[in-house]
Amino acid sequence: KMAAGSSGGPGAPCRHHAQLGACETRAKYREGWRPRAVKVYTINLESRYLLIQGVPALGVMKELVEQFALYGAIEEYHALDEYPAEQFTEVYLIKFKKLQCARVAKKKMDERSFFGSLLHVCYAPEFETVQETREKLQDRRRYIAKATNQRDCFVLKNVEGSKKTASKNSEHDRPWSTSGSHAASNWDPSCFTTAPGVSHNTAYPSGNQNQSLLTSPHYDNSCAEISGYFGQNTSLTPSVHPGGHTPPASLMQPRMVPAYNGIDRFMPRTTHLQERKRKREEGNKFSLIGTSEDNTEVVIGPQLPEIPKVDMDDESLNTSATLIRNKLKEVADSVSTSVKKPESSSAKPPVKQRRRI
Amino acid sequence: MELGRLEYLQALVTEFQVTDSTGNERRCSLALSVSSVSSHAQPFSLTEAREQVLANLANFAYDPSNYEYLRQLQVLDLFLDMLTEDNETLVEFAIGGLCNLCLDKTNKEYILEANGVEPIINCLSSSNEETVVSAVTTLMFLTTPQSRVQTTALPVVECMLRFSLSANTRLSNLASIFLQDYCSPPQVEEARNLSKHTAVGIPLPKD
Repeated sequence: KMAAGSSGGPGAPCRHHAQLGACETRAKYREGWRPRAVKVYTINLESRYLLIQGVPALGVMKELVEQFALYGAIEEYHALDEYPAEQFTEVYLIKFKKLQCARVAKKKMDERSFFGSLLHVCYAPEFETVQETREKLQDRRRYIAKATNQRDCFVLKNVEGSKKTASKNSEHDRPWSTSGSHAASNWDPSCFTTAPGVSHNTAYPSGNQNQSLLTSPHYDNSCAEISGYFGQNTSLTPSVHPGGHTPPASLMQPRMVPAYNGIDRFMPRTTHLQERKRKREEGNKFSLIGTSEDNTEVVIGPQLPEIPKVDMDDESLNTSATLIRNKLKEVADSVSTSVKKPESSSAKPPVKQRRRI
Repeated sequence: MELGRLEYLQALVTEFQVTDSTGNERRCSLALSVSSVSSHAQPFSLTEAREQVLANLANFAYDPSNYEYLRQLQVLDLFLDMLTEDNETLVEFAIGGLCNLCLDKTNKEYILEANGVEPIINCLSSSNEETVVSAVTTLMFLTTPQSRVQTTALPVVECMLRFSLSANTRLSNLASIFLQDYCSPPQVEEARNLSKHTAVGIPLPKD
């Protein structure tokens, strides 16, 4: 067993890399279908860095990385030659761009057979730099603030806090620098306004997104791993077209409201639809913004570029081009209108929400 | 479904409380939908049962959608109580659970109200690496303008100074962040001067 505080640096084996024996004494109602060791996952244990042991020494690094890349963008990878390995196996380090991807990859690839050998995948937070750890903690803060709807308290409580705003940069918060001058305020470092563009996209297949609601003990996931899917919830992209209507390829992005401006929020699906409805109704109050006649949509985001008018240098071709252009426009408009229709029935989501007990 | 989740969590907590005060056989009869005592060949102890249940709860605590239920079931109190147990594993799981849920404002306020900072600071002297690491993070997450007088008290800052020099990267990273982001330079300076003169303080975790 390796010591926790070993002085071998990041490459040294750590206790938390050791595979724990499977727990065999779990009560019936709590049995998943796979034996699982007793372990608690905290943000400190998780990491964008994954350590992969048991890779057969067959020169398969490329294949390994390709396999892991299915779960998300990889920033770095290399073999760890100094790390103790079983005979005929190698150890690799893979660094994902996003923690979420690492989470999924770990879950999927751990205990998976790879070229005849069983892989053991675990997090490797000891490879993080201070800044990476810092960002990891900040991401966790932001996630909790969003998930529990607490992100507005910063703005509400500190109207005069321009100094605080300046200190609340993307690097880190400094509670000590502000509490002196704003004695009366209740500034809480946990209240961050979310930075725009905080995205949680992964390569994760969309079919599983409903499983973000934790429930069943019989379900094949530990809750910490399920909760990792929250950041990539059912975001409202325009690709949700009702009634099988397919817009022409060149206009795949009808100007629907991207309800959260790209910021993902954890909410069950029915609430999504209600949120959209509410936002639309709000938008109606301010419908000065350029929308057409009965359009209940508020346009947020950049206008689509105009279709460039091409002069084909030939009258008949130009006529045809104009006809096509008009047709496209006509179809596009009808897409916007038909997409609006289901909002009236937003109370009944077309897809039955999957429930798990 | 919501009810199903609450019942499941309730079953876990009930199980825990029952194993605590009576014997093994009682446990299963009070848990939901458990037909019989676990039929595994290995004998399992009261201790193992408690550890499993606590681990489950701590893992549930990672997910914000469970917070309301966990509060109803008084799991926050359970975690705080477990911090003073002799069993290192129980402490590790309990502080892990707190670390997972303390960023939520309601939970944070509850923990601070319940004087949770003190037992958490005591976790810094544990010989268990996970316990210490969770404790450092929990203190960071619990720091507010009101609580920071406690969470960044001098002995704590001193401790973090020593941790920041540890060969254990996870620990040194977290300690550095604590010093840089949650302590003022005068605080760090004071702790630095103090540690030059005395050896008294919170010991490093044993390897």
